Amino acid sequence: MCSTRRSGFAILPTPMPPLIVIRALTRTFDDGAGPVPVLRGVDLEVRSGEFVALVGRSGSGKSTLLHVLGGLDSRFEGVVTVAGTSLAGLSDQALARFRNEQVGFVFQSFHLIARLTVGQNVALPASFSATGPPDVDARVQDALERVGLADKTARLPAQLSGGERQRVAIARALFARPKVLLCDEPTGNLDAATAEGIVAHFRALNAEGLTIVAVTHEARLREAASRVLTLQDGRVVA
Amino acid sequence: MRFSALRSLVGRQTGRGAASSIFGVVVGVSSLVFFVALGLGVGRVVREKIFPTDATLVEVIPSALSLGPLSGKLEQATVDRLAALPHVAHAWRKMSVRVPAASVYDGDFFGQRLRVGVEIVAVGVDPGLVEADVAPGTFDDPGEGQPLPSVISSRLIELYDKTFAPTRGLPQLSPQMIQGFTFPVEFNRSFIVAAPAGPVIAARAQVVGVSDRGLLAGLMVPLASAQRLNRQAHVDADTFTAVVLHAGTPDAVPGLVAEVKAMGLRVDDKERRLAENTGAAIVVTTAALGLLSLLICVLAAFNIAHALSAQVRARERELAVMRAVGASKRDLVTLVLAEALALGLAGGVGGSAIAILGALVVDMLSAHVLPEFPFKPESYFLWPWWLPVTGVALGVVSAAIGAWWPARRAGAIDPARALAGQG
Repeated sequence: MCSTRRSGFAILPTPMPPLIVIRALTRTFDDGAGPVPVLRGVDLEVRSGEFVALVGRSGSGKSTLLHVLGGLDSRFEGVVTVAGTSLAGLSDQALARFRNEQVGFVFQSFHLIARLTVGQNVALPASFSATGPPDVDARVQDALERVGLADKTARLPAQLSGGERQRVAIARALFARPKVLLCDEPTGNLDAATAEGIVAHFRALNAEGLTIVAVTHEARLREAASRVLTLQDGRVVA
Repeated sequence: MRFSALRSLVGRQTGRGAASSIFGVVVGVSSLVFFVALGLGVGRVVREKIFPTDATLVEVIPSALSLGPLSGKLEQATVDRLAALPHVAHAWRKMSVRVPAASVYDGDFFGQRLRVGVEIVAVGVDPGLVEADVAPGTFDDPGEGQPLPSVISSRLIELYDKTFAPTRGLPQLSPQMIQGFTFPVEFNRSFIVAAPAGPVIAARAQVVGVSDRGLLAGLMVPLASAQRLNRQAHVDADTFTAVVLHAGTPDAVPGLVAEVKAMGLRVDDKERRLAENTGAAIVVTTAALGLLSLLICVLAAFNIAHALSAQVRARERELAVMRAVGASKRDLVTLVLAEALALGLAGGVGGSAIAILGALVVDMLSAHVLPEFPFKPESYFLWPWWLPVTGVALGVVSAAIGAWWPARRAGAIDPARALAGQG
């Protein structure tokens, strides 16, 4: 999180610039009856290597914030910078490239493609890469090894348990070696024992230096986080 | 999106919807290719066998009215003027033997006994008109008492083989077999009409060639022989019945016809018109069936649109996940279009293959089940290279049209909304 620099005779710590910077973020939806503000002037910084848990009631704007951070939702006002990329006003192509290279998503429902094998699901980001990494097979193997599923490359998602499916989804998110992992209720569909295993994986990944932002109601995930932010009515309140 | 990635994703996109989508394309393409090939094939039979008209020939006949110096007759001076017209490569004269003729045959006919009497029409022609169908030097007037060199129609042999011979138990003939066959002919004699005054001229005719240009029910003899017979029968042996002009190219024919008509002469285009009318009827029928097939393809495009729309709806989250891992809107449009094009390509190839297979079956059934009939072709179909290619292209285009709206819909999926629902 910090680097050092030489200044005269002393070595002083210099804070690294934040990986995520959000200033005055506003997102308004139109439900037909009129504009409904979901995010109301959110200010937030996340440093590299942090594990941030976003908590709050349903409708507080957690998932919307996550989608904005991941470049899935670009209709916002304010400043959003992730890994040095300012997301405001980016073209669809540029946002696609950002999602492909800088962030990885993990969803509550796994969202694996049923007819693709585990290996093919993990390699899916390579299909949309501008050049395509030259070492797709090695990356797939590496990502699956990190989640302990290296021996299940040829299986179909239907042949896996819920916990294994979520680990495949994590491996897919890790495939492109992103700067930030964005998780939306990653343990929401899992039983307690399986969720514990997934949380352990997140801990391990964070310990390796990966920045994680997770929307969650799960106490274990909150406990694993280095910082917990609470959203209420579209604002960060704690 | 890279092509290899696209190919990989499209290759994996197979589903139940694909089969129903592809069915309409296969039906439309196969029927179009089948009927167009059939129309072309039947048209070829009409052009080449039933009405084998030569597009470079113009048959000039005298005017029905006697006007001025042309006097409604074709004299040598008129022939010379016609031969001198631009674009005329050759001018071949025709002169009918202007008395009735009949043949009574009673003898061996290729191993069978035959007793028959027929009326005969004989027309003298310049040897050049049939030179491609006779051996050199065999189509000249041999003089009185010698067999009369005669050219018969290839269509006459076809009609004989397919209708006359089978019903009477007579042998089948080929152009090679009939060469050299001689039979008696009496000029100035008729079974039907009263013969004019004058001597009956007994002669023998010998077949020296079989030609598409031959008379359907008559003999072509050397022009000099016709002139000699007319002189012997004391009828007009100086003016010609017709002149056949050979234009250099088919393109020159309309201009040539106009010049002939400007000379006060007429063009005998009865057979050409018959061929054109028959051909037009075939074209119209083929076009109607082709339009029906195109309609099927349009319906197939609607079917594809419907099936792909349903598929895009069903795959909304899957497509949203693709967006989440780096697909742009254009990538998803490309993906859905590519899936549809793959279906269209498969449907086009399958449809064309089914059409070709169907044509083979029809030809096989015709050969083995249908009885022989005149001008029965070995194949009813013609397969220019562009026809199956058009079939494949039609399949692809139908699919592309059908996929356009669903593809745009796929591109417009809001991934945040699609992935927000936690099912």
